[in-house]
Amino acid sequence: MTAAGALGVLLAVSAGMAQAQSPETLDWLRKIHEATQKLSYRGTFVYQQGSRTETSRITRFADARGNIERLEVLDGEPREIVRTRDTVKCYLPDSRVVKVDQRSADRSFPALLPERITALARHYAFSLGETRRIAGFDCQAVVLTPKDDLRYGYKLYADIASGMPLKAVTFDSDGETVEQFTFTQLSIGKVTPEMVKPRHSARAWRVHDAEVAPARLAGWGLTAELPGFHKVIELKRRIGESKPVGQVVYSDGLAAVSVFIEPLEGRGGAVRTGLASMGAIHVYTREVANHMVTVVGDTPAASVQRIANAVEYRRPQ
Amino acid sequence: MKAKISALMDGELDERAARQAIDALSREDEAVEAWRTYHLISDTMRDSGLLSDGFAARLGARLAGEPTVLAPTRQAGEPRSWHLLPAAASVAAVALVGWLAFAPQQEGGQTSPPPPLAQAPAADPRPVVIPLSSAANDYLLAHQGFSPRISIQGMAPYVRTVSDEQREAGR
Repeated sequence: MTAAGALGVLLAVSAGMAQAQSPETLDWLRKIHEATQKLSYRGTFVYQQGSRTETSRITRFADARGNIERLEVLDGEPREIVRTRDTVKCYLPDSRVVKVDQRSADRSFPALLPERITALARHYAFSLGETRRIAGFDCQAVVLTPKDDLRYGYKLYADIASGMPLKAVTFDSDGETVEQFTFTQLSIGKVTPEMVKPRHSARAWRVHDAEVAPARLAGWGLTAELPGFHKVIELKRRIGESKPVGQVVYSDGLAAVSVFIEPLEGRGGAVRTGLASMGAIHVYTREVANHMVTVVGDTPAASVQRIANAVEYRRPQ
Repeated sequence: MKAKISALMDGELDERAARQAIDALSREDEAVEAWRTYHLISDTMRDSGLLSDGFAARLGARLAGEPTVLAPTRQAGEPRSWHLLPAAASVAAVALVGWLAFAPQQEGGQTSPPPPLAQAPAADPRPVVIPLSSAANDYLLAHQGFSPRISIQGMAPYVRTVSDEQREAGR
């Protein structure tokens, strides 16, 4: 290709996207997305955050009717989460509680569909990184670098053959690792429905049903949205054994921030306001108009805090 | 404009604002409608017995169309439209049937100081750092399902909701 030709292609691409993203990188993102949607696999991975590590096993069974995923924590008490098309069930054997959360069609966010990638490209730059061998798989690194410090960056190492991500690193604006997931062993295919059955029958366990339902939280909103973050859903649900709580989710297509709103009246004990963190997740709690507002996001603390501070209630007129 | 009309009824507008509101009443159907509705509501609340034909049906229809979900008590800084407060309370009471089992709204006079208006101060660079509460897992679980990262990473990020450290802190 001549220099002029290359320039032409470059301009054509930049016209559609905020920045020149190489078609190869976009192909990789699509490949990763497809792999996580279509493959059946079973593997062991390590979640690492600060000085803490935890080993878990994930099993995914996919067929034409849908898919079931099962996550088992291998360290300590055998907690597990089983996700089907309709529900997420979290089994906590020590307290003999099963938490049930409903999933609806609009709960899946195919962030990496081509039309979404264009929107994503406004806030992230995509590039290919090095190749590296992880758990026996030759992997290609794909880097999503944020264009501001309101969101984290991600580096995904995907199996060159299948596209399956073997390692995912979340990094902050200084390039420091915030948390990472790394498979230490993975086998693709060879999964039977038996392997995704929950270990616990959970008979006679207490059930905490989230009772998720669409809702409109009249009067609640943000005085200012965070650049790139848009409201994606608004619903009511239970948190643990609470009364109904409102939840509004904002997302930039890759990171999400949830705003939970619940009345202060009837709550036992005072609200502890402030910021709590775990890895890439930050939780900011404050009081607004006699309600406790809890903002949870997989974004830098400042973003969670900005959204929390923008929450307001205006009496509907 | 509705807020202005309400404030006008309460005699809270200064001369200029009042003139604007009255102008609006002569021009905008919506303002007139608000004026009428507010008076009807306040008459009703005072039991003046001046209900127009079909008032109940119209109010009912309006209530049905208004999902008052989370309704805090009155906020500071809003016009003191006490005519509307009982109405707001009863609107809330009806709408609550939907899904709210929240604590009852205060009827009538506001004795407790109203909550501070939500402010949006510049992000404090040094927030108070608190430990993750025992309830944090539930919020995480509720949030996790909406994280688009799930679509590139599968279910692995869910591990954070059943993490050992939090479990020890909580249950």
